[in-house]
Amino acid sequence: MKVVGARIPRYDGVAHVTGRTAYVDDVRIPGTLWTKALRSPHHHAGITKLDTSKAEAMAGVHAVVTWQDVPLLEYGHLAALGIPADEPLLAKDEVRYKGQPIALVAAESEDLAAEAVSRIEIEFEERPALFDVREAFDAEAPQIHQEGNWYKHFEDEMDRRQIRKGDIGWAFENADTIVQGVYRPAAIEHCPVETQVCQVVPEPSGRLTIYSCTQALYFSMGVVAAHLQVPLNKLKVVGGTTGGGFGGKVDTATETMCCLLAMKSGRPVKWRWTREEEFLCSSTRAPWHMEIADAVSKDGWILGRKMLTLHDAGAYSRFSPYGLTKHSFHHTGAYTIPNLEFDGYVVYTNRTPTTAMRGFGVTSVSFAVETHMSRIADVLGLDPYEIRLKNANRIGDTSPNGIVYTDPSTVPTIQTIAESFGHELPADYRTMTSEPRTGDLLPEHLVAQTANPEEH
Amino acid sequence: MATASVAMNAATEILMPGSEGEAIAAFGDGADVVVVGGGTIVVPEMTYRRLRPTRALMLGRAGLEGISRDGSRTTIGATTPVQALTELAAPLGPCASNIADLEIRAQATVGGNICAGAGNEAPRGDLQGAFLALGATVRSAGGGDVAEEALEEFLPKRRERLMLDVSFDEPSAGAFAALDRPHTHDYTALAVSGVRAADGTIRLAATGAGGWGTRLPSAEAAASDPEAAGQAALADVTPHDDAIASAWYRTKVLPVLVRRVLTELKESA
Amino acid sequence: MNLTVNGVAHEVESSPLTPLLDVLREELGITGPKAGCHQGGCGACTVLVDGEPRRSCLMPVGYVDSGAITTVEGLGPPEDLSPIQQAFIHHYAAQCGFCTSGMLLAGQAYIDRGGTDDDGAIQSALGGHVCRCTGYSKIVDAVAAAARGDSFDLTETAVGKHTTMATGGAE
Repeated sequence: MKVVGARIPRYDGVAHVTGRTAYVDDVRIPGTLWTKALRSPHHHAGITKLDTSKAEAMAGVHAVVTWQDVPLLEYGHLAALGIPADEPLLAKDEVRYKGQPIALVAAESEDLAAEAVSRIEIEFEERPALFDVREAFDAEAPQIHQEGNWYKHFEDEMDRRQIRKGDIGWAFENADTIVQGVYRPAAIEHCPVETQVCQVVPEPSGRLTIYSCTQALYFSMGVVAAHLQVPLNKLKVVGGTTGGGFGGKVDTATETMCCLLAMKSGRPVKWRWTREEEFLCSSTRAPWHMEIADAVSKDGWILGRKMLTLHDAGAYSRFSPYGLTKHSFHHTGAYTIPNLEFDGYVVYTNRTPTTAMRGFGVTSVSFAVETHMSRIADVLGLDPYEIRLKNANRIGDTSPNGIVYTDPSTVPTIQTIAESFGHELPADYRTMTSEPRTGDLLPEHLVAQTANPEEH
Repeated sequence: MATASVAMNAATEILMPGSEGEAIAAFGDGADVVVVGGGTIVVPEMTYRRLRPTRALMLGRAGLEGISRDGSRTTIGATTPVQALTELAAPLGPCASNIADLEIRAQATVGGNICAGAGNEAPRGDLQGAFLALGATVRSAGGGDVAEEALEEFLPKRRERLMLDVSFDEPSAGAFAALDRPHTHDYTALAVSGVRAADGTIRLAATGAGGWGTRLPSAEAAASDPEAAGQAALADVTPHDDAIASAWYRTKVLPVLVRRVLTELKESA
Repeated sequence: MNLTVNGVAHEVESSPLTPLLDVLREELGITGPKAGCHQGGCGACTVLVDGEPRRSCLMPVGYVDSGAITTVEGLGPPEDLSPIQQAFIHHYAAQCGFCTSGMLLAGQAYIDRGGTDDDGAIQSALGGHVCRCTGYSKIVDAVAAAARGDSFDLTETAVGKHTTMATGGAE
């Protein structure tokens, strides 16, 4: 290959080191208005009054928009994947997370826009809020989403991602011990050095030119077109320059919001989030609650795994069903476990809605699975490398959802790690390969799987 | 395009005195005046619209900067950058070095640090502890008078006075110990400064243990036994929870820091 | 008041209390320094004032006086890159590039005051700068290389024939 191993120039390298890369906030268009948002101060509340007239009356304020200005208020970003819309672009009757945008102002200066926001009259009726995904899953928890507290629209209107494989009852009956663990990674803020920002120019032709920091330009274009109910050829999106995204700039709604302000005011509009908004109101990686119970033999075979995953979507679905789906396929990690009972739910809380971040859905399960493997080794008094090598994927094994592994890399990877750390492996572990299991490495509970890989 | 700055409304009156006398006059009784040292604390508050000054007193040109020595007495002007203290002996040197990063230390002022109000979620005013241990006095102005008093007396009214300078006598030994900061942009969660004065008196002070910088008289009374003094120090503080450390954790660490400081002072006898 | 930026004098109308960052970006249209946090916490706004690195988001413009301000644009244009800019390109020390201008200026100031290729000293000097993309090690490598006076053949990492040197982004 010509490229691998070669020193390839970064096409943007020179621009970056000379300060010439034009990020969205560097684009200078005369007459651009500044934007500020009225955001919910409550985690969960009904909106009983919303009056923007005093803000609109201020000199220097050119547009105020609320839910009433949005042609299609709710649009599911992943409607194409069957995830129905559940989130209004701007809040209508209620707010479900602190920081949720309710109204937007475009004005001559940032200070004026902020002053105008403070003059919007709004009244709330507070409601009980949930912040812990496990609590939200309880039957007695307050219902905080129109669909109840978890997503119910997987295929065939299933309310979970469910994987059943082999005979979990057999596994638990024949185990020498059950090893349990609960894993709860916390939310992570992407914290890109560039905060979310967007500029929109209403062209005399009727088109809208959108300067966006989105990571997903064509995707964002579709979202804007859907909310505004305009054909795609009305939009020109200038993107490709992002000051860090890491998954946090894939579900941006700022483009649509700035379009509404630009259309209403007839002026170019820019919205640059403050660092505080970025920390408090932008989407994060989800918190997770994972419970694993493994049926293991005393010589270190994992006969079966039961797992419950609760993915905290925050207040709205966004991409969470997709993240959970990927998570589900990986719940055995790099290891072969033939008997499985997995249930995963996308659960709503009143936290900021969550989104993708570097390895969406999979970092959580990798963390849980690997920690659990070490826990098993600990409980059984066995070497953690050997436990992993023993249960590692082999050619012909199948994933939780039945994909046949043709070239799994678990065995050589763990052997390399052992060598790098100076961990001495016994001879038979040092010479293990990914070849299909035979002899001692083909215990009874794995025989059935290799005989009928498609069935499993 | 020349847009109005986010920080300012046209209504803010800017006062930029060119001398100590002009600064004192401009400050008046301090009512309705926001004092701007380097700006590291006040400017973001204005940017985020939490502070909307009617009058802003910018001290950068008032000649209040500099470190001078008169025999064994050192005087540090209020607008001296924190960075200027980093080469001084303990406790001031290591205390100052533990604040923020290179750029911010060069912009932050000693006076701004000592007079800092309580942060929203974070302790401020690291230097208060070091100067308390040094037995420092502060010269300040307000309502027409200029007064010099012990730092302990000044701290409760630091938000109402215009600090001009801080002075202390050279100690015979100094020491500083703090909870490590994970990153330059984390605040110092807990720190202890200690001094053995020229006459042998031991003074100890802590920051991050509740409120502003505080002397540790119970620990000072037991100073000959660092271990016992560490435990005694707990009587002098009311620790709190914040983002980096809980009150519980602070009660575990404070005795350790006190013990380390006293041990170091003993060893430099 | 007057401001000298990258050797060019400008007359400034903003109030003396306006952060230098906002004067540079909004009044003068000099967009090299970035608004990452407006709290001094990220380093992306860093400029040099008489060769010393400063957080421009915290500095009231009235305090600059006659200080000479250098932004990243003043380090060197594409056709005449300074050693540290070349080092950053060669070592792939920029990914999204948003922290880069602050890193370059802080690195340059470090070298100008005698900084060596000692990793610990470089990390200390740049300790107030946040990068979320690179994991910092390539940035430290680049500053170390520049401190050593390494030279590079950038034809192997320079912009290729098919790209242009014009300002990127907006028309």
